[in-house]
Amino acid sequence: MAHNPACERFWPELSPYIDGELDPSSRVQLERHLSACSHCSALVDDFRAEGGLIRLGLDMAADEADFTGFAQNVLARVTPERPPFFERLRISFDEFFTHHRSMVLTSVATAAAVLLVGLPIFLLQGAPQGYAGETMELQAVRVAEEAHVQPVVLEAEAEEATIIWLVDQEGPRRHDDEDFQHHVLPGASGRDAPRPKGGEL
Amino acid sequence: MATDDLTLVKRVRTGDQRAFRTLVERYQRKVYAVALGMLKDREEAMDVSQEAFVKVHKYLDHFKGDSSFYTWLYRITTNICIDVLRKRKSAGGHAAEFDETIQVNLSEASAGTLGSRLGTNPQKSALRRELVEKIQAALEQVPEKHRTILLLREVEGMSYEELARTLEIPKGTVMSRLFHARAKVQKILSEYLELDESKVGIGSE
Repeated sequence: MAHNPACERFWPELSPYIDGELDPSSRVQLERHLSACSHCSALVDDFRAEGGLIRLGLDMAADEADFTGFAQNVLARVTPERPPFFERLRISFDEFFTHHRSMVLTSVATAAAVLLVGLPIFLLQGAPQGYAGETMELQAVRVAEEAHVQPVVLEAEAEEATIIWLVDQEGPRRHDDEDFQHHVLPGASGRDAPRPKGGEL
Repeated sequence: MATDDLTLVKRVRTGDQRAFRTLVERYQRKVYAVALGMLKDREEAMDVSQEAFVKVHKYLDHFKGDSSFYTWLYRITTNICIDVLRKRKSAGGHAAEFDETIQVNLSEASAGTLGSRLGTNPQKSALRRELVEKIQAALEQVPEKHRTILLLREVEGMSYEELARTLEIPKGTVMSRLFHARAKVQKILSEYLELDESKVGIGSE
């Protein structure tokens, strides 16, 4: 494709022409030349095609890039200085309660139920078996002043038990067991208590 | 429906980091492409892209909304790239110079090969991937200052006035550099296509 020597005058104007930066009078002259010169027209086409290829090339290069962690890195750089420990703790709790509300509520309900059931069981584990069972010890035996009974305390060697007889002093004598009541307290010891005199048996 | 940029910017100003993340993810690819085009180094382009978003966040109050958010972001990116290129030059890096006084001879160029083979829409060309790779190689042979101005013009669409202001050079120099850059790339690609034409099938659409 031959060019005529007059073309060289127009070459520096080709670039501003395709960019729309040529003044109107120069533009008119160039367009007149272009209509007559296939060489310069072809150059204009090439320059335009270049622009498209450059843009496409950059798009394709960007497609090949790996942007994993890109936004994260940028955000890490723009985040203000680290807040104090308690502030971070507060934010962590806030975020946790915001994003895991249902899980927190379920956990609290479960913990409350475990406490309600488990605590009484745990506390009762140390309690004596039966009514004041093994921990009761006989200290003394007394009767009220107006009572008509007299206690008689006997010790049974077997089973280390203490037997207390209550004897009716004023009522009619009877030989059945109705007048007598007794208590057997296993493990009780009445040795230190003053021993009352027994009534008539 | 995606939230528009200005709404996201307002939310970022109130401290909404999630909105900022959305903006980053929306434009990270474009910003990287621009940086890569100017710097020709993937790792450096990635660093510059991150730096651009950090600056955007820092100076968000300076964004008045006169231009689109992307245009503003793009300017910040190109400014960082220009700084990097200046540092490279002062460090004695790739400082391939180009004598602009030398007359460009387009008479030998196979004018029209590129345009006629691609048509006006290079996306539809069967050659596009091959040509894109070739144009990347061609751009690497173009001096940095010409490559920068070509990218700013072709990708950003900056006017000559804006290019002159951004690069701090006279408008005449903008015109001259753009012409030299385009002529150089055109020559490299045309030579490639000329050689390639002899190969079977390539270029037939």
